[in-house]
Amino acid sequence: MRLDHPVFQAAGGSAQPIFIWDTQEHDKRGYSFKRRVFIYESAQALNIPIYAGEPHEVLSALSDGSVLYAADTPDPYIQQILAELGRYQDVVKIGTEDLSHIPANADMGRFFRFWNKAKKSALTASWEKDETGHMIRTERHRS
Amino acid sequence: MGLYRINSVVNLLDKQRVESTQPFAVAPLAQSGREAVSKRVRELSPNLPASDRAVGELKGGRGGAEQCLDAIDPVKYGSSRNHLDGAVTQLSPYIRHGVISMGEVRDRALKLSTPKQAEKFIQQLLWREYWQRIYTAHPERIWQDVEAYKTGFSPEDYADNLPRDILEGRTGVGCIDGFIAQLLGTGYLHNHARLYLAGYICHWRRVKWQAGAQWFLAHLLDGDPASNNLSWQWVASTFSHKPYYFNLENVDKFSGFNVDTRPETNAPLAGSYETLFARLFPNLEPSR
Repeated sequence: MRLDHPVFQAAGGSAQPIFIWDTQEHDKRGYSFKRRVFIYESAQALNIPIYAGEPHEVLSALSDGSVLYAADTPDPYIQQILAELGRYQDVVKIGTEDLSHIPANADMGRFFRFWNKAKKSALTASWEKDETGHMIRTERHRS
Repeated sequence: MGLYRINSVVNLLDKQRVESTQPFAVAPLAQSGREAVSKRVRELSPNLPASDRAVGELKGGRGGAEQCLDAIDPVKYGSSRNHLDGAVTQLSPYIRHGVISMGEVRDRALKLSTPKQAEKFIQQLLWREYWQRIYTAHPERIWQDVEAYKTGFSPEDYADNLPRDILEGRTGVGCIDGFIAQLLGTGYLHNHARLYLAGYICHWRRVKWQAGAQWFLAHLLDGDPASNNLSWQWVASTFSHKPYYFNLENVDKFSGFNVDTRPETNAPLAGSYETLFARLFPNLEPSR
């Protein structure tokens, strides 16, 4: 829920962003009142239209078959909705960049094995990385 | 959140129909402030019990996130993060809901301190990324035991549901009841307090971690299936080498003055690690 998410750039300026308030899913997950208030406040701060209802129905009705852009998430519930919508229209999922860059076959069995591989890239600021996320090599010359 | 290209104007219902399953546009609030938001959320949540009225201190949205971000001190964080009154950031609800990116938080930390000084701070961000990567690769691990329990017990030995005294914060264990009151009242708990509470539920009360994880997800403002559930598995020992447990001395060491650590009100937690290990895990060989 932020306006600098890469999904906005991918969708382009003519796209209409919306937030979907999914009461049934909140109920199913047992979200307390305080959680819902925090979520609503966060959505309201975006100053974009808020729709209430089942996401598949909302998005089907509004998008009218046009391309749909969504922030990617591992949440199986959202994944399933996007997969269903993808049967009838183009759905583009846009993720965010990871903090760290590790080999695809890195051992993820325990955190500190992951940390040992991820540490160097994670401790490097974005302004020290190129567009692919790799560290920019800087050469210092002494006069 | 979704974005779509406008091809045609779609007329949705312009009146709120909260009792209906039909989608509708939610009218912008005429007034700002938490009272108006609370009223709106109540209207949108007809099935929420009226008794559920607590609202957290943290305000959702970019403004709240920036306040927390402006206050971070990676150096102090590194030296005090395990203390319940340490220099923690409270950014987690904003990161959880995507209000602020982890990259922005990491970059701010690296503007304020050297990579070495910011290492503990950024390592905690990496825990979150680690859990997310596992969630993405293995979504089934969120609710299933990743590994067997290493407690000397099998899953059948654990209760499926949380007992009422835990749900209501009336366990009779002083610090535990205090942590529960904070969880229910504010939706926020320091990470160390979460570990204490999870350890108590899994090992003292022998309840399945899934029951505790579900409860936390309902209340924590930052409740995230990956970070929350896999951390519960770390405590339970289904995603770690050994069960996480603690003693009263440890709680006292890391607590501020507002946590009840009196021996007379925390008897089940009192004792050496060896004594507690023998009591909590009687089927295991003594290991510490």
